Amino acid sequence: MTNRKPKKLTAFLWHRRIGLLALLLVIILAITGIMLNHTEKFRLDETYINNAWLLNWYGITPEDEPVSFRVSNEPESHIISAWNNQLFFDDIAITGLEQDMHGAIGAEQFIVVALDNEIILLSYEGEFIERVSTSISFSNIQRLGKKYKRPVIETSEPLYYIADEHILDWDVISNEDIEWTERYSLDEDEYEQLLVAYRGNGLKLERVILDLHSGRIFGEYGVYLMDAAAIALLWLSFSGLWVWNSRRRKMRRKKHYRKHHRI
Amino acid sequence: MKDHVNTIKLLLISLCSLGILIIASTPPANAGGVYQEPADFINEVFDGKPPKADVLWLNKELKQQIVEILDHKYNGLRVRYWQKQKRSAWVLEEIGKEKKITTGIVVNNGRIEQVKVLVFRESRGWEVRHDFFTDQFRQASLKDDNRLDKNIDNISGATLSVRAIRKLARIALLLDQQVQDKQVSKKTL
Repeated sequence: MTNRKPKKLTAFLWHRRIGLLALLLVIILAITGIMLNHTEKFRLDETYINNAWLLNWYGITPEDEPVSFRVSNEPESHIISAWNNQLFFDDIAITGLEQDMHGAIGAEQFIVVALDNEIILLSYEGEFIERVSTSISFSNIQRLGKKYKRPVIETSEPLYYIADEHILDWDVISNEDIEWTERYSLDEDEYEQLLVAYRGNGLKLERVILDLHSGRIFGEYGVYLMDAAAIALLWLSFSGLWVWNSRRRKMRRKKHYRKHHRI
Repeated sequence: MKDHVNTIKLLLISLCSLGILIIASTPPANAGGVYQEPADFINEVFDGKPPKADVLWLNKELKQQIVEILDHKYNGLRVRYWQKQKRSAWVLEEIGKEKKITTGIVVNNGRIEQVKVLVFRESRGWEVRHDFFTDQFRQASLKDDNRLDKNIDNISGATLSVRAIRKLARIALLLDQQVQDKQVSKKTL
């Protein structure tokens, strides 16, 4: 048998219990809060998540299949793909797209990508050179081909235009000896690499930190979990004050007792 | 008495019709879109006889100056322009809030001759297309610090679009300066 008295459910006891329970959530709230206050310094809006588990958790999967073309300028060979409004040079995201891609070829100096009414020029190192609206010469591009290592466009009319060496001006030609581009089917590895690249630009770190802070990352009820953590934090503030005040009063009483009873 | 009722009825009908007319003539909240195709702009600037396009390749220093004006990364290694003597036309793009604003700018003798918003894709801030705003750029030139020598007034509710057009005007003047300098150095050689 021990002489220990049964524990009373005092404010202190609850302060401790709730404090321990909310510890992890409060740490998350505090750290994510600080990070969000300094978004630019931590580069949260420029950093992309490439963790497969997290990307799957967010359901980041492309809606359709990529459209790819293989371009070669011996001995180099690259894959140009358009996927969900994004242009890729191999597995590097280059720029956003607002139009469909109709082909890509390796011309003498550049890689030429044809969209509905635009041409995009890339270097063989994957640098973005220029985006040109073709509406001054033609529109409604249907196909892209090559003749004398120069790009050739087929429009909906159909008319055929060949570019000069610097891709500044276009001349009408006849549909003869044009090597038209054909779609390229990615193999499994190439598809996987492109998928990683695609997802790489799909989720910003800022989104994850925001969702961690609000609790939305934990699903439908995550927000209430973080609400509970915030309420727990409030409770801890008040119960902390209560405990501090009651201890102070207790100490005062003790001091007063000692002073008047000379122990 | 009956006459009075009829007069009131007529007055009410007239007021309602006036209200409907006013509502119908109010411009929609989203008045963006393609105002003029870039090709048509170039044609118009050169009276239907546009010169062949030329390109200005951006060296490291020039690209850095553009980045400083834009306050963000610039994607591209060359810029297309059309030029006849000391008059050059540029079609440039910059993001207002989320989407690109395509703007045509004509520079004549180092000063802006015309600024025209060609395509506006944002849902707000399209007021920058109006002449009362774009006319402010006329005769503006570039100071040594690559800023405009004229004050361009803001439009409330279109601050980001105004900022984007200001940046494009500065870039057009900077690029024109480069083109003119190159031509002068070519001639002296």
